[in-house]
Amino acid sequence: MSVLDELVAGALEDQQTRERTVSLEDVKKAALAAPAPIDAMRWLKRADGIPVIAEIKRASPSKGHLSDIPDPAGLAQEYEKGGASAISVLTEGRRFLGSLDDLDKVRAAVHIPVLRKDFIVTDYQIYEARAHGADLVLLIVAALDDAKLKHLLDLAHELNMTVLVETHTREEIDRARKAGARVIGINARNLKNLRVDVNKYNELAADLPDDVIKVAESGVFGAVEVEDYARAGADAVLVGEGVATADNHELAVERLVKAGAQVKASESTPLSEHQGPYWGQFGGRYVPEALITALDELERVYNEAKADPEFHKEFMTLQQRYVGRPSPLTEAPRFAKLIKDKTGLDARIFLKREDLNHTGAHKINNALGQALLVKRMGKTRVIAETGAGQHGVATATVCAMLGLKCRIYMGQIDARRQALNVARMRMLGAEVVEVTLGDRILKDAINEALRDWVTNVKDTHYLLGTVAGPHPFPAMVRDFQKIIGEEAKQQLQDWYGIDHPDAICACVGGGSNAIGVMNAFLDDDRVNLYGYEAGGNGPESGKHAIRFAPGTGQLGMFQGAKSYLLETDEGQTLDTYSISAGLDYASVGPEHAWLKDIGRVNYSWATDEEAMNAFRDLSQTEGIIPAIESSHAVAGAYKAAADLKAKGYDKAVMIINISGRGDKDMATAGKWFGYLTDDQAKALEVTGAHGNTVA
Amino acid sequence: MTNTATTPSGQPLGISHKPSQTEAMFTKFKAQNKPAFIGYLPYGFPNPEVSLDALKTMVEHGVDAVEIGLPYSDPVMDGPVIQAASSIALKNGETIKRVFEAVETVANAGGVPLIMSYWNLIYHYGVERFATDFENAGGAGLITPDLIPDEAGEWIEASDHHGLDRIFLVSPDSADNRLQTVARNARGFVYAAARMGVTGERSTIDASPEVLVERTRKAGAKNVCVGIGVSTAEQGAQVGSYADGVIVGSALVHTLLADDNKTARDTAEGLKLLAAKSEELAEGIHNAR
Repeated sequence: MSVLDELVAGALEDQQTRERTVSLEDVKKAALAAPAPIDAMRWLKRADGIPVIAEIKRASPSKGHLSDIPDPAGLAQEYEKGGASAISVLTEGRRFLGSLDDLDKVRAAVHIPVLRKDFIVTDYQIYEARAHGADLVLLIVAALDDAKLKHLLDLAHELNMTVLVETHTREEIDRARKAGARVIGINARNLKNLRVDVNKYNELAADLPDDVIKVAESGVFGAVEVEDYARAGADAVLVGEGVATADNHELAVERLVKAGAQVKASESTPLSEHQGPYWGQFGGRYVPEALITALDELERVYNEAKADPEFHKEFMTLQQRYVGRPSPLTEAPRFAKLIKDKTGLDARIFLKREDLNHTGAHKINNALGQALLVKRMGKTRVIAETGAGQHGVATATVCAMLGLKCRIYMGQIDARRQALNVARMRMLGAEVVEVTLGDRILKDAINEALRDWVTNVKDTHYLLGTVAGPHPFPAMVRDFQKIIGEEAKQQLQDWYGIDHPDAICACVGGGSNAIGVMNAFLDDDRVNLYGYEAGGNGPESGKHAIRFAPGTGQLGMFQGAKSYLLETDEGQTLDTYSISAGLDYASVGPEHAWLKDIGRVNYSWATDEEAMNAFRDLSQTEGIIPAIESSHAVAGAYKAAADLKAKGYDKAVMIINISGRGDKDMATAGKWFGYLTDDQAKALEVTGAHGNTVA
Repeated sequence: MTNTATTPSGQPLGISHKPSQTEAMFTKFKAQNKPAFIGYLPYGFPNPEVSLDALKTMVEHGVDAVEIGLPYSDPVMDGPVIQAASSIALKNGETIKRVFEAVETVANAGGVPLIMSYWNLIYHYGVERFATDFENAGGAGLITPDLIPDEAGEWIEASDHHGLDRIFLVSPDSADNRLQTVARNARGFVYAAARMGVTGERSTIDASPEVLVERTRKAGAKNVCVGIGVSTAEQGAQVGSYADGVIVGSALVHTLLADDNKTARDTAEGLKLLAAKSEELAEGIHNAR
């Protein structure tokens, strides 16, 4: 006899004992006279959360005694306060130590639906459940034949109760569906490691229609399993031991409810309006508590500003009169010819000219927006990190304009690669601190900026330059940069009479220019999106900044956010390398990580060599010298064109985001291509401005 | 994904209700009207072997609980001294797998073993796996300088399974709602940063930590310890007059660093200085009231 058979037999025997005291007729009458049940279907599925069914559980056959629970009503009330959507009451007495008395007490104590969980095989038990005030009953497919299952299901539905139908296999799910089940309990635990098995869940539940509520029934203990099941697609969860044995029952339920709401919010659409703090499983705030109050303030002030037409007006006026927006969308026919020669794709190529912004890159869009927020917050000091120097220059520029004190952190290696930008920042009145700690590149500059911020957070704003870092930075920086794509879309229509592009190419370091140009197109499936990381010497060389290719980045928390990260087996951050300082970063913005996981953006890379060749190609075909960072997008255009061709496009309209201009890179390029005499090259050695040979 | 630890019969672990080691320590000290002395040292500094001797030395010379630091490549909450020590440890082959030897060393010496780690190291090792190994080694709790309770779902679950303390930080800038969030989710004690900023020695400690300790207690915390900036016996005594525990880091680490602040000091000399500094601080802290 299996455990289930034994439990069913016991439950039946106990029911028959009760029937000798209260007849079926009497229990029927009581059921019909009971106050109408709550419609539990409405409690078990919601767009913004994962409803939690919290169980009154004293013991189980597999784990034995769990908790005494002398006051089930009080426990149910704590669950309800914690945000439970329903209470499950075990009424089986032999192994689970429950009773109908528990059910009565709980029913009287809470206002949410109550589930009678027992081994139900007779009409009597169904009427009995209703008579005791249950809104839901459990039926176990494995314990019933088809006819019996359908009969009991129909009876419960006639009594206006909801039925949670427990299944374990694909066959049982099919039987449950045929019998008319509307709420199906799914058990997708991997019996080897007892973790929620997302693959098994998908195998079981994948083709269940939307109007069937899927309840994850087994192995839910805490936030981890709620998140796993929610991401797999479960509508609700049932939790027993994890809440029944907690020290603080209310808090335990609250944590589960929060975890579910977090998953739902993290997957919200439309993609272009996603607000964070979580992008799928990425993002968040992995920072010292000391920064949380400042981040909360920033989020509040930013939300106020976003809703304030005056703020928007001031921002747009400065964009126009100071930055020089809109930046043009330039057609590049001679470069398009190169693309055609190389890939066979008959492409019309358009360049979004962020290089023509004041200070020569897209970075000023964000620097300006955040600097206006600094004024709004009443802070007086701004700090920022910079890699290529473009963000540092943009920040120093807006600080000069608005009269803010400014300090820029720059890794020593980057400061040597971009010596001219160091001079520019100093010219603009900023203090430039060369960081000599760690690897002396962008990440180390960010570490120092974070240390400064933790210390001086009262009067200081950290003007982060990309869509990375803790919430609200990824969403806020995206908002300040999305003007790039919005303009490009409009210009393509107004200037060239083209409704939409077929492809967008951008380079991805932290990812702000890419998000900026892509945001307006994220929800338009006709537009193929391509992001190019810094390939350095190639993925196998170990000298690169590729986070997305197989065998490169892993999931991790870095500088405030969960994302893909280049790290060692020990979780220590790996050294990265790229000829472009601006892409030389171990992690990547959390929104990109999400867009990669959901397959919306194609991520690949361009090596130093590919980028430098593209740098020359664009310079010599169009008279436009792109930044080495942007050259990765130009190099990517060849790959994107090949991909489009493979997808069946013969003609295509492509936009390449030229995120910045290449004047700052002339020393590197001059040396790379041998355009300099030995004497000239030697003169550059003195400043160390020789990009590709810096280790 | 990490494997959930199981009971011998193959069932998932339930909530461990074993008593908190640090709470037991504070109960003992409170009965004597004394604050506890919590000392920090990065594991693996200056190298794995010597660091075990150093941890033992600290406990033998008056440190009650030891915060064993896990060296990290990007320690944003740490000042120059601990950065230097961490970087030396990483160069000398520190690995997270062996930190549990340090935990055992502290426990065997009679100290309460805590680990302080940036979150990515624990996440990468596997949260449940870490909790299992840490519990098995006799560990008491984990201090998480860059993990706030709001992001700690997996750690809260694992620490519940293994009866480990969750030590979150608060800072003078923390709003009341933040203090409540921390106090509600903490187990063992709450780590109050004496000032805004990163770790490191300071010549004076101002009055703000006393206010913060008061506010944190009011928010529901049972035990509140103060760290960051405490480096002398006088400061220890000052902070110990109101805090349940006094945390000292950089000043202890400093004893093992050479005068250039970049390389390790001669081992024998370093350990002697560490013992003396521990004693001096213990004297000040334990006689604070």
